[in-house]
Amino acid sequence: MMEDTLRVVHCGGSELNFRRAVFSADSKFIFCVSGDFVKVYSTATEECVHMLHGHRNLVTGIQLNPNNHLQLYSCSVDGTIKLWDYLDGILIKTFVVGHKLHALFTPASAEDSVFATITKEKPDVFQLVSVKLPKSSNQEIEAKEVSFVLDYINESPKCIAFGNKGEYVAAVRDFYLSVYFFKKKTTSRFTLSSSRNKKHSKNNFTCVACHPKEDCIASGHKDGKIRLWRNFDDDKKYTYTCLHWHHDMVMDLAFSVTGNSLLSGGRESVLVEWRDATEKNKEFLPRLGATIEHISVSPAGDLFCTSHSDNKIIVIHRNLEASAVIQGLVKDRSIFTGMMIDPRTKALVLNGKPGHLQFYSLQNDKQLYNLDIIQQEYINDYGLIQIELTKAAFGCQGNWLATVEQRQEKETELELQMKLWTYNKKTQGFVLNTRVNMPHEDHITALCFRNAEKSETPTLVTASKDGHFKVWILTDDSDIYKKAVGWTCDFVGNYHKYQATNCCFSEDGSVLAVSFEEIVTIWDSETWELKCTFCQRAGKIRHLCFGRLTCSKYLLGATEKDILCCWNLLSCALEWSTKLNVRVMEPDPSSENIAAISQSTVGSDLFVFKPSEPRPLCIQKNITREEVHWGVFVPRDVPESFTSEAYQWLNRSQFYFLTKSQSLLTFSTKSPEEKLTPTSKQLLAEESLPTTPFYFILGKHRQQQDEKLNETSGNELVQLPLTENIPEINELLHTPAHVLPSASFLCSMFINSLLLSKETKSTKEISDDVVMEEEKESVDSDEENDFIEEVQDTKNTDLEEDIIHQLSKSEEKELRKLRKVDYSWITAL
Amino acid sequence: MAAGGRSSGDPLSPAGVPCAFSPQSQALFALASTDGHLRVWETANNRLHQEYVPSAHLSGTCTCLAWAPGRLQAKESHQRKKRKSEAIGTGDQADLLALGTAVGSILLYSTVKGELHSKLISGGHDNKVNCIQWHQDNGCLYSCSDDKHIVEWNTQTCKVKCKWKGDNSSVSSLCISPNGKMLLSAGRTIKLWVLETKEIYRHFTGHATPVSSLMFTTIRPPNESQPFDGITGLYFLSGAVHDRLLNVWQVRSENKEKNAVMSFTVTDEPVYIDLTLSENKEEPVKLAVVCRDGQVHLFEHILNGYCKKPLTSNCTIQIATPGKGKKSTPKPIPILAAGFCSDKMSLLLVYGNWFQPTIERVALNSKEPHMCLVRDISNCWMPKVETAVTKVRTPVMNSEAKILVPGIPGHRAAIKPAFPQTEELESKRKLGENEVSIEERLGAMDIDAKKEKATRPQTNSFPVLLAQGLESNDFEMLNKVLQTKNLNLIKKTVLRMPLHAVIPLLQELTKRLQGHPNSAVLMVQWLKCVLTVHASYLSTLPDLVPQLGTLYQLMESRVKTFQKLSHLHGKLILLITQVSASEKTKGATCPEQKAKLVYEEESSEEESDDELADKDSDDNWDEDEEEEESEKDEDVDEEEDEDAEEKDENGEDRDVTSEKELNGDSDLDPENESEEE
Repeated sequence: MMEDTLRVVHCGGSELNFRRAVFSADSKFIFCVSGDFVKVYSTATEECVHMLHGHRNLVTGIQLNPNNHLQLYSCSVDGTIKLWDYLDGILIKTFVVGHKLHALFTPASAEDSVFATITKEKPDVFQLVSVKLPKSSNQEIEAKEVSFVLDYINESPKCIAFGNKGEYVAAVRDFYLSVYFFKKKTTSRFTLSSSRNKKHSKNNFTCVACHPKEDCIASGHKDGKIRLWRNFDDDKKYTYTCLHWHHDMVMDLAFSVTGNSLLSGGRESVLVEWRDATEKNKEFLPRLGATIEHISVSPAGDLFCTSHSDNKIIVIHRNLEASAVIQGLVKDRSIFTGMMIDPRTKALVLNGKPGHLQFYSLQNDKQLYNLDIIQQEYINDYGLIQIELTKAAFGCQGNWLATVEQRQEKETELELQMKLWTYNKKTQGFVLNTRVNMPHEDHITALCFRNAEKSETPTLVTASKDGHFKVWILTDDSDIYKKAVGWTCDFVGNYHKYQATNCCFSEDGSVLAVSFEEIVTIWDSETWELKCTFCQRAGKIRHLCFGRLTCSKYLLGATEKDILCCWNLLSCALEWSTKLNVRVMEPDPSSENIAAISQSTVGSDLFVFKPSEPRPLCIQKNITREEVHWGVFVPRDVPESFTSEAYQWLNRSQFYFLTKSQSLLTFSTKSPEEKLTPTSKQLLAEESLPTTPFYFILGKHRQQQDEKLNETSGNELVQLPLTENIPEINELLHTPAHVLPSASFLCSMFINSLLLSKETKSTKEISDDVVMEEEKESVDSDEENDFIEEVQDTKNTDLEEDIIHQLSKSEEKELRKLRKVDYSWITAL
Repeated sequence: MAAGGRSSGDPLSPAGVPCAFSPQSQALFALASTDGHLRVWETANNRLHQEYVPSAHLSGTCTCLAWAPGRLQAKESHQRKKRKSEAIGTGDQADLLALGTAVGSILLYSTVKGELHSKLISGGHDNKVNCIQWHQDNGCLYSCSDDKHIVEWNTQTCKVKCKWKGDNSSVSSLCISPNGKMLLSAGRTIKLWVLETKEIYRHFTGHATPVSSLMFTTIRPPNESQPFDGITGLYFLSGAVHDRLLNVWQVRSENKEKNAVMSFTVTDEPVYIDLTLSENKEEPVKLAVVCRDGQVHLFEHILNGYCKKPLTSNCTIQIATPGKGKKSTPKPIPILAAGFCSDKMSLLLVYGNWFQPTIERVALNSKEPHMCLVRDISNCWMPKVETAVTKVRTPVMNSEAKILVPGIPGHRAAIKPAFPQTEELESKRKLGENEVSIEERLGAMDIDAKKEKATRPQTNSFPVLLAQGLESNDFEMLNKVLQTKNLNLIKKTVLRMPLHAVIPLLQELTKRLQGHPNSAVLMVQWLKCVLTVHASYLSTLPDLVPQLGTLYQLMESRVKTFQKLSHLHGKLILLITQVSASEKTKGATCPEQKAKLVYEEESSEEESDDELADKDSDDNWDEDEEEEESEKDEDVDEEEDEDAEEKDENGEDRDVTSEKELNGDSDLDPENESEEE
């Protein structure tokens, strides 16, 4: 295998909830921006059908092409607007605008231009402009013709809406609503009468939507009210009505396609449908799990979708029933638990929804499920102090899961709870075994299981800021009623009132290391006797881990004063130490390697080393500019076989890390080209679906019509045979060139073979009909994209075109007319 | 990868429905059930991914299915120098699923879009499709049918590329050679076709019944010395309907040998077979065979030439329900399919009913020849609509879970009896004496109690009742005594109770204190009395620490929030009661205590009492005075003082406890306990 340089690649995708999702015209697909890509999901299966990649920076807006519903526009911060064929995932055109684009609007009324939000001089002053898209067959077109529409607007596309047939555009910002009328070329500005009043200072505008049929603008406000504006073409006679259900900010608004109902959502995680724009007729879809960020409506009107703050999109049926969930890696909240691997499912486990652990399959890059640990109704409200899931650990090959949850309202009022779950093989799920209230008097800083191969009693150690560490063991809890096991505390240890900051077991489980601020203590795990202490006076210990396999005699500690120490447990002496600002230190479970990520001013660097060797195996500078918070080694299912020394550490396992902005990254050695090539090998199968009952009726009918047409047009349309079945052509093409007779000799034979005999025609009619159908379809879809002339049968295209050219345009029109005329009455006669 | 079993025979039997794992990563499992529905399950979380009902599902039920070799979906883009935003490729993701139907049509279903992709009918089969195989490279599809023909389809155009007669009877199974140049078909005999020319290359005969499955087991010939032409020397496997033998055949260069090389024996007709290809000579072929009786047989064998005796399985896996009690006996749960994971070390098992199968990953590391997994699938029938949409799983939190709150034994480490080694030097002599004396004393007390009972049958006297209740552990009797609210009565009872009952009483009180707080209120009175009255007795007990450790922890955790106040309160009470008690006891003596053991006891007890008193005076009296003093100025600098003192005391406490925990030899002095009421 060719080994390229080690590269950092994204995993788990970027956030899906950055902008409103867009439905395709037939509601089969849903598009959403995701980092530098546009993702095409199937609404039926929740699967990602295509990833449109081509933008070089964050994609900030997507809209369907109003002139061709099979195409999609996207705009990006890189200053381009791209046109895509989303069915095949092909880039059709690129329009280079040159400004940073922040939002895109394609109202149907504006024929050859689109609207975009740009920043001109200052970085935070946004303008709405119309961009004229020139028609050209080139793939990359300059679109510099930019005309200014509105100034000083909000960046978010939620604050701009195009009204009834594109006659006006409404934009909101802070305390006013501005409406620009394209015909009159005037701007009206409306403010709420109470906005200057301090008492009502919370009624900032947050979002706006325009009624698709009437002159009506709906605006959402920070105080939870929705106002419906009418008569706004008159500066004085304008009116508004108020709808109030939300108690917190209205995050997004959307009118249904017909305009009969208005959808709104906010932090309450409830989708509210206002029927007929009255306060009385409300329908709710509650318990959507997280704050509704965006709402969009499919053009066909049968589906809605809501984008949520926990990185998911819920597809909702017209009757307010959730039908599908497209869930990315949950990125809503900070990660306290760190990343771990569930030994059973091999899934990545970390904090997910509030109070949940999420299980994320790295193999399929897909969330498996959220495990509800806290099991309390989550109240979506600002400023509430919630119970947080702070620690979790798997033990004994995934048979045990320990979780710690805490809630702290005031300094002295700490609520702590530790839960120990056992995996029940019979029911294939976790069952609570022991619940410990206040296992410690202060925050728990570390949690680890003894993962020894030997089948001993399961042991768990918790370290806490209260200065103690506790050893919990599984004991027999049977009584006369039932056989049971439960966890009890076996030992409480401390060291001179110092806070316990870290704990970890050696690989064989014989030794426990607990760090108390600056001091590392080593305890015998049989008798819980203090064996020895290490102290380097180099700051509090931040990370602590034992070496593995041949390096199991080494203990590594990274301190807050940027020192990485390695102690030898046999000699009880410091083996080596180095100055390194370690942020993440993770041992590889299947090798001796240890990965450390250090933080410098320019970015984070990765060091992979063996504790026994002075030289690191691999140094990767500047893997990301952000701070790295967590890392984990994931064992590979099928080991790789890199030979070069720098990559050998990736043979058995893969290293994943999570940055401050919660993007999950990993290393890949495959070149991008290598990953790209198999797409050409992608299985291409043409769609051919002949089989609805309607088709049987209509198809036969049309066949007759076509026959008639063929007759009337004097057999001008010649039916083409399939070249594959003609032996002469096969012979010609499959014989090597050097053994072929001269071309002049073959010519007549070849031409003859292309001519049609009467018999073949009748048998091929069915298939030819299909071919014609497809032609027609492809003409429809490729109306604009002339450059992708689908190369179907290279040999036949020329001939085919000739024949088509034989028909003059007028004749063709006539033919179409004839086709449309219903001849069924003739058969009835 | 794995060929689906054919649906034949009994529709009620769950085994034998067409099903298959998606290739490469086995992320999906497709199952076409007898009701005509196609269901695709996610193997990782056992969730129904999608369900599809073909329009003609009643007339043309699905008879076989096969996953397309895979598609590449998510692509990586070039890494820009500026931004490091790049997506990882998710690897091959299966998309197209080919379904053969009973009427001869073949459907291509897209699992990504969730809709029918295309339908292959024109020029195809006019009878039941028996088997479908995708070509691994060129996107062709091969199908065979009851109409005796084999059809080669071009899936790009959805047209027939070639159709030829495969056998004189129906063709039941197909398999493509690892290099993609040959095709195995099974009808009456097994034939090996050259795909390019559609000519027969070899014949194999051996099965009496229709062959239901065919599979190549190796991709390299056993001896690598000869040049490899892509087919010679390879082994393949065949299973047949109603046949309990799986035959292994070898393609040989000379066309002489037509019989099977070896065979595997299983318990019933094989319905689903999966294997791991061996890539070199040393690596054994691993074979998992699901039989109609719902068992899985695992074989591990290095294929090298003949073996006359049929091989039996290395391991058999069965699944059964848990039998609860005597009423319900364990019932077997049929396994529907089994597929090896890509690491070759674990097996995906699909079991249960086809309506809602359970998919589980089982690690194959045990050497035992029989694995019986007990699984409870009773709740699998519950509709899971809610979870399907929200993707939330709720682990079970039942009342059987053990709950540890501060104070309950187990929340903190139990105070263990002191190890004799740790307290060797200092107190060896003393301890020895003590131990003997206490034994004797306890013995004497037992006699005492009996005597007491015999001489005074005063049943409703509280001390007697209490002693009897503690002895017999009679709950009602104890309730009668302990639930009294009369403070005087409590005092008197405690005063008159026999000494040997003190420890049992304390233990009983501890148990009750852990219970409901309402009842605990009453117990506190008792506890207070016992500790104040019998402090001297308790301090003489050498094993007091383990005996009363839980009580100590309980009190500590309960009074943690108002520690300081309770300390003061406790000390004051102690002072007052001791003063008043000493005055009273001068006059009244306990008549029951007979001086039988006086001569020894006195000496030892005095000694220890003295010691204790010394200790007390050292430790506490000064402090008490201090506290009293400080109480006076408390108005002025209350808070500061409190803080300071709290720290002091905390520190002291910690010292005491840590000392105790580490050395385990210091007696827990009763002062501490009474203080903290």
